[in-house]
Parts: sequence; C-alpha cells; structure tokens
Amino acid sequence: MRSEVLRLYKTIHSWTGIVSGMLLFVCFYAGALTVFAEPIGRWATPPARGAATIAGADELIAATLAARPDAAKDFSLYLAADGRPARLAWRKSREDAVRWMAYFSEAGELRVERSHPSSIAAVVDAVHRTAGLPVGVEIGENITGVLAGLYFVALVSGLILVLPSLVRDVLALRLSANLKRMWLDAHNLVGVASLPFHLVIALTAFVFGLHDPIYAALDRMVYDGELPKIMRSTSPFAGVRRDEASAATKPVAELIAAVAATSAGFTPKGLHYRDMHTRGATVRVFGEDPRFLSRGGGFAALRGATAEVVNVDYLPEAQSSWTKIVAAFFALHFASYGGDIVRWTYLVLGLAGAFLFYSGNLLWIESRRRTARRHGEGVMQTRSTRLMAAATVGVCLGCVCGLSVAIASVKWLHGHVDDIEVTSRAIYHAVAALALAFAFVRGAARAGAELLGVAAVATAAIPAASAAALVAPGLGPFASADPSGLCVDIVAAGAALGFAALARAARRRSGAGPSDSVWSAVPASGTGAEGAPTESRATAPEPR
Amino acid sequence: MTPFRRDIVSKSLAGVVLGFALALALVGLFARLGPQGLEGGNKYQLVMWMIAPIWLSVLAFVFLFRSGLRAWLWLGGASLLAHGGLHACRLLLH
Repeated sequence: MRSEVLRLYKTIHSWTGIVSGMLLFVCFYAGALTVFAEPIGRWATPPARGAATIAGADELIAATLAARPDAAKDFSLYLAADGRPARLAWRKSREDAVRWMAYFSEAGELRVERSHPSSIAAVVDAVHRTAGLPVGVEIGENITGVLAGLYFVALVSGLILVLPSLVRDVLALRLSANLKRMWLDAHNLVGVASLPFHLVIALTAFVFGLHDPIYAALDRMVYDGELPKIMRSTSPFAGVRRDEASAATKPVAELIAAVAATSAGFTPKGLHYRDMHTRGATVRVFGEDPRFLSRGGGFAALRGATAEVVNVDYLPEAQSSWTKIVAAFFALHFASYGGDIVRWTYLVLGLAGAFLFYSGNLLWIESRRRTARRHGEGVMQTRSTRLMAAATVGVCLGCVCGLSVAIASVKWLHGHVDDIEVTSRAIYHAVAALALAFAFVRGAARAGAELLGVAAVATAAIPAASAAALVAPGLGPFASADPSGLCVDIVAAGAALGFAALARAARRRSGAGPSDSVWSAVPASGTGAEGAPTESRATAPEPR
Repeated sequence: MTPFRRDIVSKSLAGVVLGFALALALVGLFARLGPQGLEGGNKYQLVMWMIAPIWLSVLAFVFLFRSGLRAWLWLGGASLLAHGGLHACRLLLH
C-alpha cells in the first residue's frame, strides 16, 4: 500500500468520521436502548385494569363492534399478555390521528376510551431513526441513511489504515503514559473487533433511510414503471378480493389454530382485521418466532370467512426464499433473533459503537492539539478544536441526558398529559438542546464533567420513579404492570453509577490533567510563571 | 507510472454518481436475467437491497484510482457497458 494512498484514506477517514460521528453516537446510544424497547415499554405501562382471555376475545370483538360498528373496517386485537388484558385498538379513518381502545373491565363491562399508549419506546426509537434531530421521521431517516453511507466509507477507510500494521497494533492495547496512543489503540481495537456488526448496521441503515428514492430510481431504470404493479401483485392479500357481502368471520381460536397448523413454533401476539364479517374479510395473525431470522416478528395472512391461510411469505418458518434473504438483513439490524443473548450482545456492541465515534472525535481533537513548550508559557488551542470538543460533549451527553429525563418523566406525566408521546419527544429535544448550549457556554472541560453528573442524576431518576410508586403511591408514579420492568430499574441504577464514576474522572482530568489541552479547566498560565503545571507527557507527534 | 493525485472532490463525485449508476445497472441485470425474472415474489426487495453494498463499495474504494479523471473514465465506461447490456436485454427478451 503506497503511503500517498494511505494518506488520502486518512483524510477520508477523518472527514467522514467528523461529519457523521456525533449524530451516529446518538443513533447508536438510542439504538442500544431500542433493542430493549419491550421491557422499557412494560416499565412505562401502568398496571392493567381489566380481563379478557383468548376465549373472551370473541366476546370483546362482538361487544365492541355492537357499540362501534365503524371499527369493523380496520382494527387490531392484542391478545392478553404480560399481565395486560386483551384489548382492541382502531382509528376511525387512516387520516384520523385519534386512537381508540376497548377492553372489558374487571366487572366484565365494555370500556371504550381514547387510547394514550405510553409509548416512550416509540420516542426512543424515533430518536434512533432521526439521529435525535428535531425533524420529521421521514426527513430524519433520509439524513440517517446518508450518515450511514458516510459511516460505511469511514469503516472501510479505517480498515485500510490499520491493515498494514494490523497484527502489531490492533492486538495491542498500550496502557502507557501516552494517553493519545492508548485512545488510538482502544479505538482501533473496538473498530476491528466489531467490524462485521458495523458493516451490517451501516448497510442496513443506509437502506432503511433511502429505500424510497432507491425504489423510485429502480422503477425508472430497471422496471420501466411496472414496479408499483409488481409490488401490489406480491402483497400478502393480492389473492383476496374485496367483497361487501356479509359472511361471519371465524372465531379467534380457529384463526390461531390455522396458523399453528402451518407453523407450530409461532407465538401469536395479536390479529389485525380488515372488513370483518364480509366475504372479503382478511386477517393478519402477527407474532414472533425467535428461532428464525425475521423482520422483528412476522405474520400469516388469512381469509377471515374460511380461516384459510392465503400467504406465508412473512411467516418466519415458511418464508419464501427471496423474503428469507431480505428478512435476514432486517433481523441482523433489529436483533430480532436468538432471544435475550443476542439482545444483550447488541446492547454491548451498540454502546461500543457509540464509544468508537466518541473516541474518534477525541483523537481528531488531540491530533490538532498545540502543546506547551517546556518553559510553560500559556497555549491557546485553536478555535476549531475548542468548538469540536464542546460540540462533541454537548451532542453526545445531551442525548444521554435527554433520553434518561424523557424515560424517567413518563411515570410522573401519566394521567396529567393527553399525549405522552408528544410531551416525551419535546422533553428529549429540550434537554438535548439545553445541554448543547451549556457545553458551548461552559467550555468542553467543565461541561463534560457537569453534564456527566446530570446524566447520572437523570438516569438515577428512572429507578427513583419506580421507588416513589412503592413508597408513596399517592404521589403520581405507578408501579409497572409487569415485574420485568424491574430489570429496567436495575440497569438504569447501574448506568447511573457508571455515569457518576465517569463524572468524577472527568472532573479530575479537567482540574489536574495537562493544562495545555481543551480538556483542562485550569486557565493557561502566564508566560514563564514558576511552578506552572508542566506534566511530563510523552505525546509522540503524529506521523505525517 | 503517472503520479498519484488526491482529487478528493472529483473521486467522491464519481463514487456517488457513477457508483449509483453502476449499481442500478448491475442489479437490473440480476433482476432481468436472474432466477424468476422481474416477477419473482418479493424478489424486487432483494434487488433493492443489493444496491447498497455495490454503491457503497464503489464509493469506499474509488480513492484507490490514481486520479479523479481515471475514476470517471473507468466507472463511466463500466456503467455504460452495464446499462447497454440492460437495454439489450429489454430489446431481446421482449
């Protein structure tokens, strides 16, 4: 590999990394949490009031449709699970944002009410998809797609850079006095060790973010305008015509049994009905089957009037060959295979990825550092490194603080706000923006330690909200519906301790570390002052 | 041996524009000539997914070209060839 090629790739690696790194940190930190969206959702769900089993589901549907005939067109039945009763959910029309739900109270009465799903999990997921930018999800996903493309180039260029000295450098983690060398070693070690994971995430995120424009181009250049027709013809219900003539839709147990006959290992979680009690009624039985790579679950398509299975393209065990290949890409991104072991692995890999981007920014800053000469005269770091350090601290820790505050506040908001999702999103963006502004005003050195302290307190507020529910039930917070919510409390408590330890380390570094650094809060000393802090450090100059 | 030129802007543009053009033509050939042709059930999804690795690999390795001009000529030539093949399929397979 010629040195000029390596030098060019070093430039490419720096630029792609600096442009995308901070936003990718947000994607990865929020993404690591999104893997555990279900437990987080359960943690944020108040104890259920009501009862209905699979046997009672048919009665629930009948009672609801008698009260609300307009729901028959399009509604979902969620089966009883996780201590929550069976319930129906629908909207009056596709354009109507108001969601309704129906369930049986413990006294057996039908309750129909506006539904306010405490969907903090959806808020975390939106932050993950949009890199925490205050834009709509579609625009945000396009931006994330472009970021993923830059990230792929950064990965390949980084690999090209370490290849010549792979064995010598990557397997070494030199914990020596040379801090920059240690950070570089850690950055390379994490990057190479988790390279397959990162390549998969970069490629899949690129597709998730940009599939619409890519389909549009394919339609023009390859399919000659036929693509929408092809898409319709392969849709799960392509074979079922709409038919308004009345015909009773089969009971829930029969529909589920039909799917079980096709795939015994599939666990149904709910049914989605269209045009119920007509001859053209369709039912999607959706659920999951962790034995297979699937799109975070799957479904079978049935004819409602006959309970005949009409399409298994998306049923994990019976997927067609084309769907199976594509489902693998989805599963590898969503960690929707292999159960909890894979989920915990993705959490660790995701946080390691966040570290990769953070340390990349630190290395960029450190490479541009001006060091004090031996006489101890004051140095001023360049404006670009000061701003980059402040931005890195503000964006990354703003995301950490924002998510913790948004999650912790859910239990306090319950019952006080109409739409928790909108409020939680506003809370996230407000905290993230405040943290960013604070980092620029305070400077990276002080803000780093202080925002880590805020992150520790905000994260500790998550188990504190649950504790408040137990100790003082009248205050507002509720105990979670499901004991598995306790895992969220335990992990959050551990994370809070971690952030507190990092805050202490950052404070020590800003007070006692080398003062010729953007991470030092000690004002650079005057010229030639006696006893100016001149730490003996062996910063090897960058090989240029 | 011509000297190696950095040409970051020119090479990047070649990677983005011609990488996409080349990827479209290559997956188009797979879509038309591969198993089940254009109509395979849900095949179009895999066709769309194949764009990403081809396009991004071109973008990542385009900097190995000795100059921006060479990147444009090689990738442009490859794109023209692949799109020509795609058009030939249209004419012959109808």
